[in-house]
Amino acid sequence: MTILIVEDEEKTADYLRKGLQEAGYPVQVASTGHEGRQLIAQEHYELVVLDVMLPGVDGWELLRLLRRSSGTPVMFLTARDAIEDRVKGLELGADDYLVKPFSYAEFLARVRTLLRRGGVRESERLQVADLELDLLRRRVTRAGGRVELTNKEFALLHLLLGREGEVLSRTTIASQVWQMNFDSDTNVVDVAIRRLRAKIDDPHPVKLIHTVRGVGYVLEARA
Amino acid sequence: MSRWPRSLSQRLALMFALASAVLLGAICIYLYQSLAREIAWRDDQALLGRIERMRALIDESADLETLRRRPRLYDNMLGNRDSLLWILDDAGQVRIAVGPAGFNVPPLPPSDGRTALRTVEGTPSLRLAWTRVAGSEGRLTLIAGRLLAEREQMLAAYRVRLGLALALGAVLAYLLGLAIAVRGLRPVRELAARAAAIDVRHLSQRLDDGASRELDALRAALNGMLARLEAGFAQLARFSEDLAHEMRTPLGNLMGQTQQALSRARSAEDYQNLLVSNQEEYERLARMIDSMLFLARTEQTAAALVREPVALQELGDQLCEYFEGLAEERGMQLLNTAHGMLVADRELLRRALANLLANALRYGAPGTTITLSSAVSAEGIEIVVHNFGPAIGAEHLPHLFERFYRCDPSRQGAGESGGLGLAIVRSIMQLHGGDVHAESGAEGTRFVLTFPLDTKFMVDSS
Repeated sequence: MTILIVEDEEKTADYLRKGLQEAGYPVQVASTGHEGRQLIAQEHYELVVLDVMLPGVDGWELLRLLRRSSGTPVMFLTARDAIEDRVKGLELGADDYLVKPFSYAEFLARVRTLLRRGGVRESERLQVADLELDLLRRRVTRAGGRVELTNKEFALLHLLLGREGEVLSRTTIASQVWQMNFDSDTNVVDVAIRRLRAKIDDPHPVKLIHTVRGVGYVLEARA
Repeated sequence: MSRWPRSLSQRLALMFALASAVLLGAICIYLYQSLAREIAWRDDQALLGRIERMRALIDESADLETLRRRPRLYDNMLGNRDSLLWILDDAGQVRIAVGPAGFNVPPLPPSDGRTALRTVEGTPSLRLAWTRVAGSEGRLTLIAGRLLAEREQMLAAYRVRLGLALALGAVLAYLLGLAIAVRGLRPVRELAARAAAIDVRHLSQRLDDGASRELDALRAALNGMLARLEAGFAQLARFSEDLAHEMRTPLGNLMGQTQQALSRARSAEDYQNLLVSNQEEYERLARMIDSMLFLARTEQTAAALVREPVALQELGDQLCEYFEGLAEERGMQLLNTAHGMLVADRELLRRALANLLANALRYGAPGTTITLSSAVSAEGIEIVVHNFGPAIGAEHLPHLFERFYRCDPSRQGAGESGGLGLAIVRSIMQLHGGDVHAESGAEGTRFVLTFPLDTKFMVDSS
């Protein structure tokens, strides 16, 4: 499950490596395009995270090389949020992209999605501790008791449960639940989480929804 | 037109020369024809005179022999090598022939007592006058003629001279025209020189009124362009300055609190608090940069709109759902009465309306209702966000959509919008060819998005 990071910016490479290692993935880092090319030729990776602005062999070149030889998922990072860049990356066969500066939670969520792709089937019943969500009947129970949720509260809980243990950024939540694909300057997500907590967590001693300060929210059973 | 010279002066001079050539040509043709007619008339008069004199001689002479014996008389009379004289008898026999040899008498119709005139084409051509007289030996035909060669030669020479004069006149007209045009176009060159002297630092300069009325339109247009450029530049400069100031605040916070925290050892919790606080500032900066990029990109109109039919009611419901929680926390209600289909970029329209709704939630009075509605008016298709609350001063209304504009300068970034939210709304509307304006008074505040009437809009039946 090794992930290769090709990134010439030392600080970026460093925090991405640390973060992925803390999330439990083995990581290798290449700081130049040439190094990246050698590693790609020698080893097999589950995922390649590629900065497209590299000295020497640039990211596009590496991407072409990767696509010629394997089906390894590729996520490219770019500081230039030009539409042409995104289109070019996706046309060359990249699986996903992030524009710098990106939120770390967002990055980790995307990495997880890429590694999981084609893997686990979406479950119809989700459960964490004594919280259960039945997708087909649109029912939620906590400790056996029925919890009444609005549509959006249900969607929010579904997202959190489906990504159990993953920290979700406010941006991700707004985009997944309300299709708001831009940063609105409001605390809508915080309000929604607060209301969901009032129904899910407040009546119970064990809390499941947790705030990760400065990052976002996560649903998990903590010991 | 590509064959025309690029220089306006040369073009004018050429047209001048052309006009002169036409005029001179017409005059030359008129003069030439007058002259030719005059010469022909005089020649004819001479021929007729000669016939008359011959008739007198015949009357005086007893017979033709006597006449023939007075050669000196008619030698003198004829005088030159161009003239011919024949006297024929009734049988058509030449009795007397004077003049250069080798000419046969051309057949002539009988004259009816009066003297007739005719030109006989041939080599060479002749002009003849003839008449019949009763002589002592019966009727005689008198024919006086003149060779036309000399006249033709003279006229040909005249034609050549006229042609030369015409050409010379045209050339002179060209030169004169060039001089006049160069001089006449001097105001244009002066205008160009003055315009060229205006650079970025002197955009406030204007082209002063010159003497020529024809250039006033051009001058006004250039001045208008300068005014727009100046406004644009001023806005850009102000914007860069604002941007620097806006970034200074979060950067100042970041630097200050980080340095303060590092000044001595602290607990893990303190560090955590610092990082969280820093994260908030970073997000503020990132959001600002995002908005800036969005604005920069929508202002280069190359940004492509993805137009599609958008159901307004559905979009409004979505947005109300999104802001529902927030509204409830502030004791406010959201009401969506928008309806119909509008062809627009869904994402951008959603963003514009989200910004307006967020704004209404921020400034609306608690316990009131925020209404999202749509209407078709004379000006276009309108989508309106209305909220109750304190009125916005009339002096602020025109500036609300400027970047970083704040009604109250002391209130720093209320709601972290950073002062770009409404600027983004305006950008989005301009991309759609529409506009946005705000009205505010005792009945609350209305933000109106206006789409041009030609935008495809359908009112659904429900």
